[in-house]
Amino acid sequence: MKSFRTILICTLYSVLCTLSAHAIERTILVGPKTIGKAWKDNIVLEARHFTDAKAGDIITVYHDRAKGTAQGAFQNPQNWQGVAPEYAYFGIKGPFRMTLTDDILAIARTHGIAIGGHDYRILYVTIADAADYQETIVWRGTPVQMKADWSVSAEIPAQSLMNLHEGDALRFHISKVQAGASLKLMDFTWNAIDQTVDGAPVGGEAFTWYILDNAPLLKIQLAGGGMNTALRVGGTGYRLDKIGIVQFVGEASEDLSQAQRAPKEYVLQPGEIFHGEKAFPNDWSGNLRISAAPFQKSTENDVLLISYKIDPAAKAAGVTPQLSLRNGYTWNEITGSAEPVWYPLDGNDVVYLFDPVALDAVKTRGFVLTGVGFTLTKIELISAQ
Amino acid sequence: MRHRFLPLLLLFLSPSCTQAEAPTPEPEVSYTLCNKNATAEVQSLWSLLTTQYGKNALSGVVANIDWNTREAENVYRWTGHYPALNVFDFMNIHASKDVNPSGWLDYSDMTPVTEWYNAGGIVGAMWHWQMLANDGVNRTCSPGIKPGETSFDASKINDPSSAEYKQMVKDIDQVAGYLKKMQKLGIPVIWRPLHEAAGNTYEFAGGKPWFWWGAQGTETYKKLWRFMYDRLVNYHKLNNLIWVWTSQVGDTDWYPGADVVDIIGRDNYYALQYPLKKEFESLTRLYPDKMITLAECGNGDDVDMSLWSDIWAEGSRWSWFMTWYDAAYNRGQSDEHQFAGETWWKNAFNSGVVLDREEVKGLMR
Repeated sequence: MKSFRTILICTLYSVLCTLSAHAIERTILVGPKTIGKAWKDNIVLEARHFTDAKAGDIITVYHDRAKGTAQGAFQNPQNWQGVAPEYAYFGIKGPFRMTLTDDILAIARTHGIAIGGHDYRILYVTIADAADYQETIVWRGTPVQMKADWSVSAEIPAQSLMNLHEGDALRFHISKVQAGASLKLMDFTWNAIDQTVDGAPVGGEAFTWYILDNAPLLKIQLAGGGMNTALRVGGTGYRLDKIGIVQFVGEASEDLSQAQRAPKEYVLQPGEIFHGEKAFPNDWSGNLRISAAPFQKSTENDVLLISYKIDPAAKAAGVTPQLSLRNGYTWNEITGSAEPVWYPLDGNDVVYLFDPVALDAVKTRGFVLTGVGFTLTKIELISAQ
Repeated sequence: MRHRFLPLLLLFLSPSCTQAEAPTPEPEVSYTLCNKNATAEVQSLWSLLTTQYGKNALSGVVANIDWNTREAENVYRWTGHYPALNVFDFMNIHASKDVNPSGWLDYSDMTPVTEWYNAGGIVGAMWHWQMLANDGVNRTCSPGIKPGETSFDASKINDPSSAEYKQMVKDIDQVAGYLKKMQKLGIPVIWRPLHEAAGNTYEFAGGKPWFWWGAQGTETYKKLWRFMYDRLVNYHKLNNLIWVWTSQVGDTDWYPGADVVDIIGRDNYYALQYPLKKEFESLTRLYPDKMITLAECGNGDDVDMSLWSDIWAEGSRWSWFMTWYDAAYNRGQSDEHQFAGETWWKNAFNSGVVLDREEVKGLMR
């Protein structure tokens, strides 16, 4: 009896262990956060989210309002480069994902990860354990080396993909990846099966293609069944080793207590051109491009008012806080002078008066605000009228 | 933070100095066609364009990629008006069923064109002239040495024995066949080939041509333009074309010549009213004997296009405008039209200076 009780307890313990080890998809950021035009917007996932993360875990960005040409990016906030070449920019349609690697985790735990791009709105971001994604290898043919001239492709028969469903993903295991490697997925007619995989950059050990809707499945089914070629895997600069179907078997957590909140989306007030906090650090890396749109009806009577906070660290470092307004193409001062005009920052707002040349410049192409040692908080266009 | 000097400053600024600017004087030039053998239909269309120039703008859209009136249907659904002009694109002639049994469209089937024309619409055509990419699989207009680009050398237009020359002639002749069908049907065509040749050469240091037909420089480009003009007009006897050359502003060296260009076009996706007015005035000064048109426009990466009422109020007097297509929107993958949506088009037709299809039909026939 004692031994039966022991067995029962052990069994229950092991079931509980299994259940608790069974990870869940956890929300780490709650939006909305608009990623607008021209790569100007981003949000940094805080480093704390990655303390317990491990290689293989998956970040998913759920979004809406994506335009047809919308692109996503996962960047290192330290230098704004992609955390890996394949994540520097990519086309997006439905939710987009990134698999954490040891290299990416090293960045994430130190600086966090920035989500950027253009023309979509982030709703929320999750992290899920790699174990939540179950993979079944469905193709393991002779490895295919993709040549520089894109002339080679692997033909995947329909029967390998018969268990592929909407919501699943295809994982392409690759090796011998060269710089500039790209993957192209084609249907049986040799046309790209989806715009997001028509020359997608690839890196690391695998490329994952998420089946977000029925459209690619229909193209695969059109090829017929059996050994008919349903999918062609092409591209350049990598070797295709095997393909797996990945299915999500985890569950989603509704606990938002640890989630990071995106700053409340601010609607610019009439006359406001910029509102927020934009750092112009001591290393001169801070620039802000303002388009010509706000100035279309401006006159020489208008005034530009620039508000800021001086960075206390600037003085400590011996840096003189200052700013200037430049032509975004020539980098000259907006009055046309090759020598920039620097406005020293003493705590008072900068009041900029337009002369005819500067007015023409900002109405034609806007300007770039550059400088050092301060945090920009607001730019207003004030009309004398 | 206090606003030092600001109250004093505003006191001294005169509110009487407002932004109102006199509109650009309406042109009083007699515009003429290059081709003295232009068909009666072309002359009728030309008469419409010249009489409306400076008074009203004709509305226009491009096809959704190639051979359809999909974007025109969008405009009708939003506004109850069809645009006056639908511009087709010969970009996929390699996949036309009359030359490629496994092709996915058929340029030899004139149905989209005749239906549009018979309904009163003006027909336009442009050509994203694609060559085989370096990967040997894809086709592209983009010059370069990468797999997805083409190293096709346009300067071989000077070498009739070269494969490139033969390819160019073959493609031009294929397009000529479609244009000839239109001529036989009595359809005049606003024809805008070899566009944006200078690319962003004059926009910033390091800028360069972005299509292969500009990649070999001005002389090759002008030779190619004049070759195409000669091939279509003199060899194929196509007299149903109005030739539009697209300027990138600052690219006078690329102008093929007044004897082979009827209208100057400008493509602009930084389409704000003020820079548009400056460009219109600049082109009018440079080409005083030609009408000027906004051959492509729409929202860009940096800015949304100004409303047409603002563009017109600023003083631009483009002959017509043509908004770009949004394939993702047309596939139902995007809620908003990327280049020009419902609000923009409603404003255009409510501006009182934009002609729709019904209006040009009434004016022409």
